[in-house]
This record gives sequence, structure tokens and C-alpha cells, in this order.
Amino acid sequence: MPNTHKNRSPEASAFYTAGLILLGIVVAAFIVSLFWTPYAPDATDAASKLVPPSLEHPFGTDNFGRDVLSRVMSASKYTIFISAAGVAIALILGTVAGIPAGYYGGFTDRGIMLLGNSIMCFPGILLALVAVAVFGPSVTNVIWALGLVFAPTFARVCRVGTMEIKELDYITHAHVMGVKPARIMAFHIFPNLVPQLLPATVIGLANMTLFESGMSYLGLGVQPPDASFGKMLSDAQSYIRVAPWLIVFPALMLVFYILGLYFISEGLRVSLSKGGK
Amino acid sequence: MNRITRFIAIASVFALMVSVLAGCTKKPADANNFAVVGITQEPGIFDPHTVVAAGDEEIIFNIYEGLYKFDNEGNLNPCLATDVEISEDASVYTFKIREGVKFHDGTDLDPIDVVYSLKRAAGLNEGQDGTALVRELDSVKDVQITSDNRVEVTLEESNSELLSYFTTGIIPEGYDNCQNAPVGTGPFKFDSYTPGQSVILVKNDNYWQKGLPYLDKVTFKVCADMDAGLTELANGSIDIFPYLTSDRAKQLDSSKYNILSNGSNMVQIFALNNAVEPLNDLRVRQAINYAINRKDIISVTMDGAGVELTTAMSPAMGSYYDTSLDGTFDQNLEKAKSLMADAGYENGFDITCTVPSSYLIHVNTAVELASELKAIGINLEIKQVDWATWLDTVYTGRQYETTVIALTSTYAPYDVLERYQTESGGNFINYSNSKVDELMARIPGTIDENEKVSLYHQVLGILTDDACSVYIQDPTTITAVSTRLEGYHVYPMYVQDMSQVKLVSN
Amino acid sequence: MQSKAGYLTGKLIELILTLLLVSLLVFTAFSIIPGDTARVMLGPQASESQVDLLRAQLGLDKPLPVRYGEWLWGLLSFNPGTSYAYNMSVSELIGQRLPVTLGMSAIAMVMVIIISYPLAILSARKPGRLGDQICSVIGHVLFAIPPYVASLLLILLASSLFSLLTVGTYVKPSDDFLGYVGCLLLPSFAIALPKIAMSFKFLRSSIIEQRNADYVRTSKSHGLSDLKILVRHVLPNSNVSSITIISIILSDILGGSLIVEQVFNLPGLGRLLLSAISRRDFPLLSGIVFYLALITVLLYFISDIASSLADPRIRLK
Repeated sequence: MPNTHKNRSPEASAFYTAGLILLGIVVAAFIVSLFWTPYAPDATDAASKLVPPSLEHPFGTDNFGRDVLSRVMSASKYTIFISAAGVAIALILGTVAGIPAGYYGGFTDRGIMLLGNSIMCFPGILLALVAVAVFGPSVTNVIWALGLVFAPTFARVCRVGTMEIKELDYITHAHVMGVKPARIMAFHIFPNLVPQLLPATVIGLANMTLFESGMSYLGLGVQPPDASFGKMLSDAQSYIRVAPWLIVFPALMLVFYILGLYFISEGLRVSLSKGGK
Repeated sequence: MNRITRFIAIASVFALMVSVLAGCTKKPADANNFAVVGITQEPGIFDPHTVVAAGDEEIIFNIYEGLYKFDNEGNLNPCLATDVEISEDASVYTFKIREGVKFHDGTDLDPIDVVYSLKRAAGLNEGQDGTALVRELDSVKDVQITSDNRVEVTLEESNSELLSYFTTGIIPEGYDNCQNAPVGTGPFKFDSYTPGQSVILVKNDNYWQKGLPYLDKVTFKVCADMDAGLTELANGSIDIFPYLTSDRAKQLDSSKYNILSNGSNMVQIFALNNAVEPLNDLRVRQAINYAINRKDIISVTMDGAGVELTTAMSPAMGSYYDTSLDGTFDQNLEKAKSLMADAGYENGFDITCTVPSSYLIHVNTAVELASELKAIGINLEIKQVDWATWLDTVYTGRQYETTVIALTSTYAPYDVLERYQTESGGNFINYSNSKVDELMARIPGTIDENEKVSLYHQVLGILTDDACSVYIQDPTTITAVSTRLEGYHVYPMYVQDMSQVKLVSN
Repeated sequence: MQSKAGYLTGKLIELILTLLLVSLLVFTAFSIIPGDTARVMLGPQASESQVDLLRAQLGLDKPLPVRYGEWLWGLLSFNPGTSYAYNMSVSELIGQRLPVTLGMSAIAMVMVIIISYPLAILSARKPGRLGDQICSVIGHVLFAIPPYVASLLLILLASSLFSLLTVGTYVKPSDDFLGYVGCLLLPSFAIALPKIAMSFKFLRSSIIEQRNADYVRTSKSHGLSDLKILVRHVLPNSNVSSITIISIILSDILGGSLIVEQVFNLPGLGRLLLSAISRRDFPLLSGIVFYLALITVLLYFISDIASSLADPRIRLK
């Protein structure tokens, strides 16, 4: 690990602080929602439909009379969960494909990269959309689709990194000593890729959230009555003139999460590039 | 080069001549003599015999006509037939065909066209495999011309309830290209269809009802959804927009639009698959019926514009509807809980509700239901599927636990209740009660109107007693019509009748 | 070292293999969609024999490899068949919708260039100044707003501030070209926003990097003005990578337009795609997906070639 914590540049700290604050808001909402929400997020109440923000309902209510604050809180759960699980899948697929591609080179490399390129040929959202539409909209399918769409990005990072690392003396040494390639890749190369994978992971979380919310907006993600930011926004569109609070709060939370991640990845990038010099 | 110029010259002279000639024969047309109707379903089928979707039927209602035709009050009137004689045992229908009617292609309507069309609908023409295209006409055994202008339809068995199906469109003999170039006798001729955008109909100058239609052109414009249509209304690019909710209708400028509302004769149902546990238990189905609050559902989904239902028929069906069933299932949580306890489910259960994602009203109903059913411990998990999958797995395959859908029908009580027979293809709730089967079997042979009404009431009563599913509402059809038009009528069916619509005379 | 021709053929073979793999992916995905096409077309009331008949008419009863071959040949000869749902040729359907999607992408691309370039150049002149920092922060924020959320916010803004921009009415380019551009402005802007941020950030850093390069320092000591250095040295060199970035942006814009047109109710490819999915319209669905992928593949191919022409060093990698 590069020393990201010592000698942090003021620019990097600014990014970290801003990022952690924004991300913290969403994560805090998520953690609190696990134990408590002001109202049950799915509880409808025909008597209090479309109530503007008030003391009783700080973020107002929607067309079912559901409390928007409670729904925003519980929506953060899906956003965090889907992006994390999706990145985990992409990360696993990406390293499993990328490290051997970089290590062996030649035919293996060409084959794997061809497959990766073919996936990257689709505008990402298109592939994810079609995949989810084909296999039916559900949280699990969204996670798999996103994992698949983002795997080539991680594979590229791993491949390039591996190509550099394998030229290092101790790897060639291990090779000559007769250490099995699988062992070299798992215990010698992979740990060295972590600094490169870290920013890619953070940015992957953000990008995945962009996609996930877009799919939810089209109705292909989290299913009602569960709340997700994208679905809340698409439902809110009908009431854009009469109940703008239905748009504003989910949009803010969504942007906070993505922006928080971007800032952290910027911070990482700055400190890594400073550390490299 | 030269040849092309000459061609253009000739063509333009010709075009000029045509337009001058046309100008001589016609009154100067009012450039505004048209109407644009917003629709939210993509049109698909223009063949009067294979049409399934209600959204297609409402368009081709203006193109094709049958021997009989419904009016906006639900009455069945003679149309291409002037009269019908039904034999004593209701097994032979003899129609007298109207004279002086022309098809859109200029040919005259002859009895032979009627024979061809009815046989085609019943699957009896050569080259057909005997399966009726119009399912209800499957019982037609033969169609023949008897005397000059009479067509005799023989049925396999008595059926006094069939007249409403002779509304199916009549097309020219031998014609088989209705899908791409519809030809009928209706007030409007098919002009063009641009997928995703519009269907354009133009005036039939030779329409047999003199003086109709008033408009020169009608455009059915495809809008992505209700809100897109609403925006177009506000922009003035649509004149007529049906199926609004009342909260949307309230946003419109009342000086520019008249808001018409009417029962839709639809039955929105929370369908319970009677063949799966625990829904096969009468007490569970009753408990669900008592647990929900229909008024709240209507408030949330239709902003209050709907009629509560406790039985399988809409009150729009007049005397066939049994008013004594009203209020059977008023919300009663205590009763619902004790029924659940009796059935051994005091702790409730988990169940899925498969809804078609394209219908917001049904998805919203499911959301409200899920919230209400929590009170008796039922955890309703909503699974949205697209329309294709819904048809496949729920309606045809019957692989589901519960669903929410609206059942549409023609204005015929038999059509509404036909699906509750054990063997019916439309019995997607897997309901089975031998008493209902027996009563339904007696109806087609019954001639006496009072007896028929009583039979229908008995069937409705049993369906409600059995709590075969949860009937929710007859959603009100709310239509916005531009104040520059008049004469638009809301039908208690899925129909847009444009023949009576005209510009408001200043 | 590879020759130019060798590099080109290598890239071409890669292109063809990629396309084949893409087509195989598309076909397999659609062959396993649940839902019987013929049943969907005929509706629930149709009989089993009618469904079988239609299945045979559509060629759905043929073995998979035969169907794949026929389908691929149809796509490559730009004759992808007839849509099940609309009963029209797929190319005609796509042709009708293309003006929306391509128009929106083109306008968005123009916006990206005319906004991000000047801003990046200004910002990079004095990095770290207040103006530069404000631009950077705004850039980060814009980058984090999904295009459809930006659309919603723009609609909210447009409808409350000025009712000039009408939302939801599409004008055909053949009817009124200015009206057509007008109705696409707002959605294009929504798609362009995050890409403006992306392009700005990228250009800014590459200009700064280039300017610190030795040869620019030398020119500076020779007394050339900032602007001249920028035009003569910095921009051409940063162009190499901006070709790559532009092709990424274009593909993102294309994907973004699929969702944004839903928000603005525009009859573009995205809506056609969603309706094709829900109606199990395989020829239409596969046509749209394949051609969109084709456009992207060609875009990357062209950008690869273009950057190798602009900078011969790339070929060495």
C-alpha cells in the first residue's frame, strides 16, 4: 500500500473530507434504517396523500400517503447493497480473467480480451437493460448484469498491472524456483494489484449506482413496494408540478452517494499519483 | 435530364387539374375539421376477427361494422342488418342485410360478403382449420344465403346470447389483407399507420348513414403514458384523451377541455388462484375480502374515481347486476382475523402477486393491497412482469398465486361470466363450482328475459359467496375533450366512436 | 515493430471477431428469453393450432444454428427481417426512430465540445486559481448526476421558470427542422452535462501535462505566446487521447439517450427497444441491439486507427 495516510496533500484531504461527509450521510441513513424509520416505508395511508414537507413528515408523503423520509432511508439500503455486490462480482470475474491474461499473454490474453471487448462494445446500459429484461427484473438479476458489464473494466486494470509486475525480479525468481503459476498469481501478483484496484473499485461503485438507478427508473430494478431512488424518481415524475419534494429528496441522496464516491476516488488518485512521484 | 423535366411538367399540370377539379366538386374544406385522439397503447392488429387488445378495438370500431352495433348506452342496434329473426329454440339466426351500403373500396355490400365474413370469423372458410377466429362464434355450424337479402346462421346448439357477437366486422368477400389495408363499411377509412406514432383515418364519403361522419380526418396519436398525453393535451396537440385519472384531469384548463366521465364496464379484480394453497381455502379468500379497503384503493389508484365492486359484474350492466350484493365485503378486520385463525393461519403467510408492469393502476393497486394485507399477517410480495410474460405465465399458464388485472368485456353479461365455468379457457383463477357450471349451461337456451336475469343473479351470488377472488372496482373512464369539439360520447366499453364528433359551430 | 498495414489488418481481424462474438452473445441471450413469441402475438384467446401455424410461419420451429445463420446474414446484408409486433421491416422501424436518437447524440456531442474545450483551456491557463477550482467542483457535481435525474431537474426548472420550452412534443425534422432541434435541446443538454464534466476534466489535465513537457517550455523560452503554444503544440498532442475519450463519450451518450428519451417522451430507439422487449419482438430487438453495438465497435475501431495515425508510438504497444 502506498502511504495514503501520511503526508497527505491538502488537495487529497479536501477530497477525502468532502467525500466521507457525503457518503456518510447516505451510509448513516442506511444504518439507522436497519433499526428504525419514522414510519414503515411501505405503509400506505389514503388519508394523507401528497402532503408537503412538514414536521410530521419532514420530506412529505407520496401519492400513496407513504412517508418519503422513511422511503429514502430504506432506499439507500438497496443502492449500497446492489453497488457493493455488483462490484464484488465484477472484481472477482475481472481478476480471475485479467491476471491470467496478463500473466500468460499470447493466445489466452487475446481470447480473454476479445471477450471483454465484445462486452464493452455494447453501450453498458444497453447490455444491462437487455440482460435484466430477458431474465426478469429482480435485485439479483440487476446485480449479475452489472457485475458482468463492469467485469471487463477490472480485467483491464488487472491485465495491465500484471504485465508490469510479472517483469519484476522476484516474480521471475519465483517462476524459476518452480512455484506454480496459480500460486504466483494469487499470492504474489494479486496483492500488488490492490493499489490499482482500489480506485477502480470506488469508481466502479459510483458507476454501478448510476446504472442501477437508471434501470430502476425504467422499472427494471428493485420491485415495488420496496423503495429505490430510481423508482421513486420515476414515480414522482407524474407529480413533478404538484409535488416537487418527491423528486428533490431522492435525487439529492442519490447524488450524495455518487458524488461522495467520486470525491474519495479523486482523493485516492491524487495521493497515489503524489506517492508515485 | 430533358425527359425528367418534361415528366415533372406533365405531372404538375396533371396535379393542378386534379386539384382544380377537386376544388370544383367539393365544398372548400375546413382546415380544422379533424380531431386527434391520444392513445397509450401501441396499436397492433387491424383485422376485425383476430383483434384481441382493447386498445386496437377502440380504433377499428370506426373502420368496421357488424350486423349489429352497440351504442353509447349499451343498446344493441341493427347496423349492416336491418332486422334479425331468432328461432324459437335460439339455434337459428336469420339476418336481413341492409341495402345500399358500400365498402371503402367502392364495392357494394352483398349477402355473400356477410357469409364470407361470418364464416371467416367462425373458422369455416376453406383453408381455415376450423378454429374460430372469434372464439364465441365457434358454435356457428353454417352460414347460408336463404332468400334475396337474408343470411341464415345455424348454431350447433341453442344460444340466445349470441346476438352481441354479431357485432364482429364485415369485410368484402375473399378479402384477407385486413391487417395491412383494412377495408370495412364504417364511417372512417383507414389511411395510414406509423408505428409508435399514429394511426390516421379519413372520412368515408359514401357512409350509409347520411350526414355522418362530420370530421374529415381522425388521428390516433400514440403517447408513451398518461402523463405524456397530458402534456400533449396542454400543448394543444391532442383534442381527445381518454382514461385519465381525476387528479390529472383536475390539472387541465377547464375553459379548453370538457371532462366527461362514465363507468368503464371493466371489472378490476385481485385474482386469487383457487388451485394453490392457502388460497384454496374459502376462509382465507373471505378473510382477504374483508381485510381490504376498496375505498382507499380507489382513492390511491384512481383518485376516488371508481365504483366499488363486490361481485364479478359492473353495475353498468343494468338489470343483470345484482344490487343486493353491494356492501357484502365492507372492511372488517376482526372478522378477517378470525377467519384467518379458523383456517389455521393466525400468523399469516407469504404470497406473491404477479402484476403486468405496463399497467400502472394495477401495480399501484398491488402496492396498496400489500400494505393493507399486512394487517392480517399476509405478506404480499409484488412481482412485476411484462405483458408478454403475464399472458404466458399467468393468463394462459395459470402459474401464479395472485394477480391484479381488469377484465374487459363486450356489453353482454354472458361474456362477463363465461370465464367462471370450470372448463372455460378464460378461467385463469381455476375456479370450479358445479352449480355455476350448471347455471351457465342453462343460460344460452333460456329465452325468457326474467328467467335469464334470475339465472345471472344466482351465478353472481355464488361467486360472491365463494369469494372466488377479490373484486375491487369499476374504474371510471375520464375523458378530456377539447372545447372545440362536440358530440363525443363515452361508451361503457373500450370504444372511441368518432362518427358523431364535430366542430363546435360558432 | 509492426508495419502500418500489419497493424491495420490486426485491428480488422479483431473487429470482425468481436462482431461475431457480439452477434453470438445477442442471439444466445434472445434464444433463452422466456415467453412464446407466437403466443404473445396471437394473445391468450388463440388456439394451440393457430399458435403452431404462426410459429412455423415465423420459422421459429427451425433448429437454432439455422436460425442463427439466417439471422446473421439478414443483419449483415442490412435486411434484418420483419418485426413481429409491428409487421413492418425492422430497418424501416429503426430508420423512423434514428433521427431522435442520433439527433440527440449529435447535439449532445456538439454541446460537450463547445462547452468543455473553452472552459478547459481557460481553466488550465492558471490552474489552482478560484475560477479553475469552481469549474472543477462544478464538474465533479455534474459528473455525479445521472442524465435522467438531470432531465427531471431541468423539466422542473423549465416548467416553473419559463414555459418556453415545451416538454413532450416531438417535431419531425422533415416538418420543421428548427422545431426538431428545439425539442431535442433540453434532453441533449441533460445527457451532455456529465460528459461535459468528463471531457473538461480530461482536457484540463492533459493540457497542463503537455504544457509542462520539455518542448513547450522550449517554445516558451523562444517567446511564443501562450495561445500559439496552445494551438501549435498542446492541443494536437492532447488530441490523441481526446479521440479515445470522445469515442467513449459518444458511446455513453448513445446509451444515455436510451433512458433520457423516456423522461422526455421522445419516440427514439430506447422506447422502441423497450416495446420490442415487452412484445418478444426478436427481429426488432436483436436488430436494435446489434446495430447499436456495431456503431460502438466501429467507433472504437475508427478511434484506434485515428489515434495511431496521430501518434505512431501507439502502434508499438
